[in-house]
Amino acid sequence: MPEPVIVDRVTKRFAGHTAVDSLSLSVPSGIIYGLLGPNGAGKTTALRMIMDIYEPDSGSVRLFDTVAGGRDHSERIGYLPEERGLYQKMRVLDVLIFLAEVKGVSRRMARVQALEWLDKLGLSDWRLRKVSDLSKGMQQKVAFISTVLHDPELVILDEPFSGLDPVNSQVMRETVLDYRRRGKTVLFSTHIMEHAEKLCDRLCIIARGKKLIDGSLTEVKRTHGGQHVIVAFDGSQGNAPQIFADRRLVAKIQDFGQQAELELAPGADPQEILKGLVTSGARLARFELASPSLHKIFVDLVGPEAATAAATGGENRA
Amino acid sequence: MHKVWAIIRREFVERVRTKWFWVSAVLGPVLFAGIIVFQIVQSLGGGARNVAVVDSSTGGLGRRVVEALETSGSFRASLVPAHAGVMDSLRDVVESKRLNGFLIVSNDLVETGRAEYHATSLGMQTIENLQRSLGRLVVKERLEQKGVNPGVVDWAQIRVALDQRKITRTGTVSESAAQSFLMAYLMAILLFMAILLYGVNVMSSVLEEKTTRIIEVLVSSVRPFQLMLGKILGAGSVSFFQFVIWGVSARVLLLLRNPIARALGADPSAVQMTLPHIPAATLAVFVAFFLGGFLLYSAMFAAVGAMSSNEQEARQAQQPVTYLLMISYLSILGLTNDPNSTFARTLSLVPFTTPIATPVRWTAGSMPTWELVASLVILGTAIVGVTWVAARIYRVGILMTGKRPNLKELMRWVRA
Repeated sequence: MPEPVIVDRVTKRFAGHTAVDSLSLSVPSGIIYGLLGPNGAGKTTALRMIMDIYEPDSGSVRLFDTVAGGRDHSERIGYLPEERGLYQKMRVLDVLIFLAEVKGVSRRMARVQALEWLDKLGLSDWRLRKVSDLSKGMQQKVAFISTVLHDPELVILDEPFSGLDPVNSQVMRETVLDYRRRGKTVLFSTHIMEHAEKLCDRLCIIARGKKLIDGSLTEVKRTHGGQHVIVAFDGSQGNAPQIFADRRLVAKIQDFGQQAELELAPGADPQEILKGLVTSGARLARFELASPSLHKIFVDLVGPEAATAAATGGENRA
Repeated sequence: MHKVWAIIRREFVERVRTKWFWVSAVLGPVLFAGIIVFQIVQSLGGGARNVAVVDSSTGGLGRRVVEALETSGSFRASLVPAHAGVMDSLRDVVESKRLNGFLIVSNDLVETGRAEYHATSLGMQTIENLQRSLGRLVVKERLEQKGVNPGVVDWAQIRVALDQRKITRTGTVSESAAQSFLMAYLMAILLFMAILLYGVNVMSSVLEEKTTRIIEVLVSSVRPFQLMLGKILGAGSVSFFQFVIWGVSARVLLLLRNPIARALGADPSAVQMTLPHIPAATLAVFVAFFLGGFLLYSAMFAAVGAMSSNEQEARQAQQPVTYLLMISYLSILGLTNDPNSTFARTLSLVPFTTPIATPVRWTAGSMPTWELVASLVILGTAIVGVTWVAARIYRVGILMTGKRPNLKELMRWVRA
């Protein structure tokens, strides 16, 4: 089966800055692909070029092995932008039917599917109410239904977890996994690494419009790993800070207070650290050999200042 | 095409569902019914009225006044000799509605032209009829006092009735100047209101999609031009639907005017309906220029909506477009007074004023067919050009957030 999305050296400039700089990536069929990066990295711009909303200044996008853009394939693609708007004054069912029709689905089909989905997500009673009567969470669900209503082969989600409460977040995660199970392809962007780590088969990290790394999750971890140890304390930390400061054992540390992630120095033996911690009187809740977390790799790659920006900054640009 | 159709339908259905659509849909026929009822009531008011004539003259003038009022057909008059307390007793009769009013005449009527009329309601039609009848009588009395033959007096008082006929392309029809003036004026106001209201509708609909950010989903499925086109056609069909409702209800009310007259207790044949006759050609010109004007202006309004990011900005940005439309609205009087002046001709050849100026000129007077064709061609060309520019602004603008672009940036959008 051809790869649903192939992006070949696309560049997009806006007045003053380059949002996406010669980005290439390919999304194989039937997997979950994560596009990761801090805010302002160019994720949204990249997705918009894939969706044919923006035209690249150079480079090309191929969808389902054709040169036609996202618009011509709208029937096969479900796209959920970061800001999920709905017509506030329309009835819920009418909005869903309209958005499906615009994608090229027949009116009758759209109606059947919309009613089915509303039922599935517990919104049946709201189908004839105005969108503005719905709570924010319910509106999120409606926006999500409109993305998947036409049972697309490829789902593109821009920051799908932003603004979701834990329950809706869970629904979203399950739906994404369900999509892969059914052999569909999911491409989503996020700046929250925990989500990516739990979901992605393959990923691509970008910053300032440029690709830093891509590949399968295990590949990325292997090439950017080194050996890691996660230590969690249960009360007393004993002499731990001193042991962590020993550069012969620990190359880098990310200290979270009650928990720390250590990157071992080359050739260091984790058993030695364990022994040292126990003899120093530290009470351990957890001592685990691990591959590095995606968050660590991300911070290493984009630099701490970008990672902090990811936590606080807004994404305001044309 | 299926996608554009979906957009047109949404635009249409959502607008027609609003309260405001039905308020104005109902308001039109109500106004029209009001006009009909007004005319019927007026004709009722012109019907025979019961009046008493109190004669305090010395030469039997009262009897001749009664005769004059009776022959006018508008009054049933009876003579009451003047005596003390006559005023009070007559006032009671008027108040009990057995009499519409009473007239007091004395020698003064012929000498200085004075008389008194007392009534509970002083209808304009009644007063006018009274004055006309009394005026004729007074002229006759005075001339006879000077020895003029009564036959000569009657002949001298025959008034001039000007039969007005308007020359049109399809032949001569009888229609008064007031009627075609009224038609042209009415048309201009209708055109102005419809283009402005529904153009602004397009703008706010564009703005809604932009501010709710639903635009991004839409543009990932349809081309911006398809979206703009669908919006304009959707809003256009709503206004057309509005006109159809008004037209059909006007037609039905016209057919029902006799039953209405009877229900109001008037004789249908006596009711004078001064409703202008609308030739098919005029209707066609009206429709063509309404559609053209709407397309021209709503494309501009769509661009305005796309370049603004909130209602307030849009209100400011729409002003130049509104002024453009206002020029022709403010020129209506000039247009109707002299439909063939250089001023009027110029306005009907400028694309932004022609949607209103041309139908007005056509209705108010005879406009050469070649000029009509020329202004249609100019309008058509302008629609293509303006839509092209608007679509380019729209395409870039709908995805922009932040500050409104200045003229230089707009130019760049258009060239991009």
